[in-house]
Amino acid sequence: MIVAERLVKEFRLAEREPGLLGSLRTLFTREYRVVRAVDDVSFEIPAGTKTAYIGANGAGKSTTIKMLTGIMTPTSGRCLVAGLEPYRHRQRNARAIGVVFGQRSQLWWDLSVPDSFRILRRIYDIPEPVYRRNLTLFRDLLDIDALGTTPVRQLSLGQRMRAEIAASLLHDPAVLFWDEPTIGLDMVLKDAVRQLVNRAHRELGTTVVLTSHDIADIAAICDDALVVDHGRVVHQGTLTDLLRTADHRSVVFDHRDGTAPETARQRIEAGLPGVRATPDDRGRIRVDYPTGRYTSREVLAFLLDRFDLADWYAPEPGLEDVLRKIYGRSRTPGTAHEGAA
Amino acid sequence: MITRLRRYLPFATSGLQSLLQYRSMFAMTAVTAAAGAAVTVFLWRAVYEGTPGRGPGGFTVQDITTYLLVAQILQVLHTNRVDDEVAAEVYRGDVAVMLVRPVSYPVMRFFACLPVVGANAVLVGLPVLGLFAAIVPLTAPRPADLLLFTVSTALSVLLAFCVNLLTGMTGFLTTNTWGVRMVKQSVVAFFAGQLVPLALMPDPLATLARALPFRGMVDGPLTLLLGRYDGWADAAWLLAQQVAWAAGLSLLCAALWRAALGRLEVLGG
Repeated sequence: MIVAERLVKEFRLAEREPGLLGSLRTLFTREYRVVRAVDDVSFEIPAGTKTAYIGANGAGKSTTIKMLTGIMTPTSGRCLVAGLEPYRHRQRNARAIGVVFGQRSQLWWDLSVPDSFRILRRIYDIPEPVYRRNLTLFRDLLDIDALGTTPVRQLSLGQRMRAEIAASLLHDPAVLFWDEPTIGLDMVLKDAVRQLVNRAHRELGTTVVLTSHDIADIAAICDDALVVDHGRVVHQGTLTDLLRTADHRSVVFDHRDGTAPETARQRIEAGLPGVRATPDDRGRIRVDYPTGRYTSREVLAFLLDRFDLADWYAPEPGLEDVLRKIYGRSRTPGTAHEGAA
Repeated sequence: MITRLRRYLPFATSGLQSLLQYRSMFAMTAVTAAAGAAVTVFLWRAVYEGTPGRGPGGFTVQDITTYLLVAQILQVLHTNRVDDEVAAEVYRGDVAVMLVRPVSYPVMRFFACLPVVGANAVLVGLPVLGLFAAIVPLTAPRPADLLLFTVSTALSVLLAFCVNLLTGMTGFLTTNTWGVRMVKQSVVAFFAGQLVPLALMPDPLATLARALPFRGMVDGPLTLLLGRYDGWADAAWLLAQQVAWAAGLSLLCAALWRAALGRLEVLGG
């Protein structure tokens, strides 16, 4: 469905001069600094998958999305979405895709959400039954009606994101590109978004490509992960497999037996060598253990045995940790800059 | 073609809806336009007052009053905000989100500016015209000239759109488009004949102004309105020049836009 072949995008950043004279001068003489935002990236995303595009240093996630959506033309290499080069057939490609840019609104700033939807309906020639069905869906899952006739500029970030997500799904696109889409959404809405995507995925076979910095966002929507580092695909598979590669996992627990935090810390670290225990100021203790030495079962068994556990949970490993491990295999991290978030 | 263009109508209606939220803006524009017209009108009337009958350039007092007043109103019609909005969208990168829509950006911009032009005509142009008609004598045009003027004004709106779109596209080259816009404004005001009618310019300057597209924005429509042409052939020639410039500039806009998109760089977000 989506193919990238040796995709490169370079930006030329002009060195600007201040003032009116300076701005006129930049019309005639300019000096540039070249920044390579996407560096020789190749990958393939099969139709009907929900993939998190996890950008490593130099992968330029947002820039890649902008080439896949036809906004920008690659400096070299090419990409295909449903067999079309998006930047050559921008308008044709635009009919088949739905896009959310978390950091830029694509709704009409001065109009209400229902008015914006009416415009989108005309632009995309959405058939009446499809429009009605989708509106009902958004009403049920995203509570779109609650946004009322307020102009978009007066909506809160969370409200706006709900509208943006709905707008991207309104015309039943074959491919969804969501660039940091869940900024400002609470857990309930993230769940609603997942339901919406799953429904589109199940009934229409929609392909979903998501970029995010937040593992919870990614886990809420995607099944698959594509990790690209310096042009190479370093991981392509399920998200679960990706998280399994974490070299440290954690257990956070609360206990009722009145052990002093410092004593508890010493007891854990003495009983499980290589483990780090960190009590917080309210008596909650976080236990970080290396996955190579302990299983979660061993750690939990130890804690259950020594403490009167009131509550516990095992958070997902941080994306940073997982990625550090993957990148670490080939090189030391942090040598390149990610052009834009 | 028609069905394709119908897709753009929502941009015009939504533009109108957005505009109506900023009502006080029209009052401010009207006051500014009236003040601007008052300065030029009373200055030039003082020049013509001493000469009975036809003064410099063959204008009567009423003619020059009408010219300057209508020139001011045409300038308001040409303030379609396309230059600021395109420039801002290009250098802020907001143009990116417009490009995910299956529509042509320049055509979309044209439709979006129509309600601005219409609202300026009705909410600013007509009141200012009415105000001045009540306090100074104006030349009443012949019905045929009024018709020619209407056609010519429509073409001038298209010319203004193209000029402003080209100005806005300098956002691809510089972040500070303010300077460019100021220069454009001065050049247009002068060469369109808004400040001084072309008939009053010294010969080399007038020849230059006639060779430029800006003439069709103010001096062209007013030449027709005041009947200052030699027969139908001359009137048709004036309109033909406007049509040719409008077509030429539209093609230039399309070509430059295409070239600019190929090199578009949107950083961040």
